[in-house]
Amino acid sequence: MNQAPLSGSPLLELQALNCRFGGLRALDRVSLAVKSGEIFGLIGPNGAGKTTLFNLISGLTAASGGRILWRGQPISGLRPDRIARLGLARTFQNLRLFASMSALENVLVGLHGRGRTPLVAGLLGTAAFRRRQRELEAQAFNLLELLELAPLAQQSAGSLSYGNQRRLEIARALATGPRLLLLDEPAAGLNPAEKSELSALIRLLRQRFDLTVLIIEHHVPLMMDLCDRLAVLNFGERIALGTPELVRRDPAVIEAYLGGAVEEAS
Amino acid sequence: MPLDASLLVQMLLGALLGLSVYLPLRAGQLSLATPGFYAIGGYTAALLSTRFPALAGDGALYPLPSLLLELVLAALIAGALALAIGGPVLKLKGIYLAIATIALVEILRVLNLNLGFTGGATGLFAIPQPFEGPVGYLLLSLAVLALVCWLCARLERLRLGRAMEAIREDELAAACMGLDTARVKLLSFLFSALVAAVAGVISAHFLNTWNARQGSFDASITTLAFVVFGGSRTWLGPVVGGLALTALPELLRPVGDLRLVVYGLVILLGPILFPQGLITPELLRRLRWPFRQTSAEAPAP
Ligand SMILES: Nc1ncnc2c1ncn2[C@@H]1O[C@H](COP(=O)(O)OP(=O)(O)OP(=O)(O)O)[C@@H](O)[C@H]1O
Ligand SMILES: [Mg+2]
Repeated sequence: MNQAPLSGSPLLELQALNCRFGGLRALDRVSLAVKSGEIFGLIGPNGAGKTTLFNLISGLTAASGGRILWRGQPISGLRPDRIARLGLARTFQNLRLFASMSALENVLVGLHGRGRTPLVAGLLGTAAFRRRQRELEAQAFNLLELLELAPLAQQSAGSLSYGNQRRLEIARALATGPRLLLLDEPAAGLNPAEKSELSALIRLLRQRFDLTVLIIEHHVPLMMDLCDRLAVLNFGERIALGTPELVRRDPAVIEAYLGGAVEEAS
Repeated sequence: MPLDASLLVQMLLGALLGLSVYLPLRAGQLSLATPGFYAIGGYTAALLSTRFPALAGDGALYPLPSLLLELVLAALIAGALALAIGGPVLKLKGIYLAIATIALVEILRVLNLNLGFTGGATGLFAIPQPFEGPVGYLLLSLAVLALVCWLCARLERLRLGRAMEAIREDELAAACMGLDTARVKLLSFLFSALVAAVAGVISAHFLNTWNARQGSFDASITTLAFVVFGGSRTWLGPVVGGLALTALPELLRPVGDLRLVVYGLVILLGPILFPQGLITPELLRRLRWPFRQTSAEAPAP
């Protein structure tokens, strides 16, 4: 878990990724590298291919071409659960919580990989098993607390408010013990107060868990403020890459996407 | 017919078959293979006990160690088949999985009908009795059902049980949390096969005769009805469904010819009035059912 990244070599590297759905080019030779410890933003208009990129990284969709390297090793073609166990966790744009399970149980599912006990010990409920179970629950509870969901631990996930469900998705992803956290529009549907807290929360999580963050978000001011670097997608092509200042001044970006929003942000 | 020991045995076996359908369903897998594994159990018991005199012993009753051997062998055969076909079959989802598992039941039925050693259409007769009367079967079925219920109740609070539930809720999200969904689904399918095979062994002795009709498409639907009626989100649901729906046709005998209509109405109205089945975790929580807490390990009773 604490392997230091080789200096200079990126944590995650995408090389000329292609993704086609029938005749549609959802991604067209997209390359980028995410360095360990940074908060890397992905922006672009609706349908630009941002979520598709996440789906490729997390193994849900097969690439039509190109490579995905994790710590220098190719991971394309691995099953989603294998990729998750390598230390990549994600949230979903259209919330995909385990709706009828409690908030605490949702996080416990995230902790699944750390709960290994022999089945027999579990069936018999041995003392060691019960102790381990309590430890896991305490861990899950701590995560809920960190995301200000502790009072809702026993509520079913489906009954939570939109903002709470978004944070529960983050808690569940963190429970898997990731090195890289992929956040797909975490601010969507949040009220302004919640939105303004989000940046601080993501920074806190990065520091607390020694995380690297790859984030998709439409809220440009938030992204300009939060991200160390940004990539801009448009019709499946990466049209810009760099620091927020660089991206904000990029003519292609202004042309394709940002327009007035950039002026507003500055 | 009153609620006698024979009917009680059938009800308990019904509850076991309900649990067999429930186990994969808890992991979101609509498998209707239960009657196939049930038939495997029945044929294993029928063949071993009628074709191998060495197992029959010299007493009037069929020896219990032989019965135990049948149970173990039936579980091994059904388990091996479940593991062998589970991999490819469980890649199918929803209704496609249901159709594939019905096909499995049909293949086994046709094989049993046409293979020489299974006795063809007439089946196998004079299966020896390990007990003098239905009470022995009642105690055995009760013990087995209690054991399976206990295992299911424990399972629901274990990591594996939680993984099954997560897969039912959202398989894709579960995989993205690092769950080996294929393995969890295969395990639930395996458990289902084991329970059905054990029920088949008991049933073959109890019925005294066994033939291909015991594992048919109708049985797939009937056992599914147990779970739909009783509820598929906690182990108590299929138990209640299996007990009630097995008893109902017999208890309705006084109604005469109308009984099948009434039976049909109950099966129809159940899901309309209780879409999640009679027994749900929420209901149990409201009734303060002591064996199901949301997640916390319940204090040992
Ligand atoms: N499974 C799929 N099958 C077919 N087309 C798809 C599939 N997934 C995505 N697409 C298409 O690929 C394109 C990119 O979609 P994607 O969801 O990646 O966009 P996005 O950048 O995340 O957009 P948004 O900001 O609206 O979330 C869209 O045109 C979409 O319709
Ligand atoms: Mg998207």
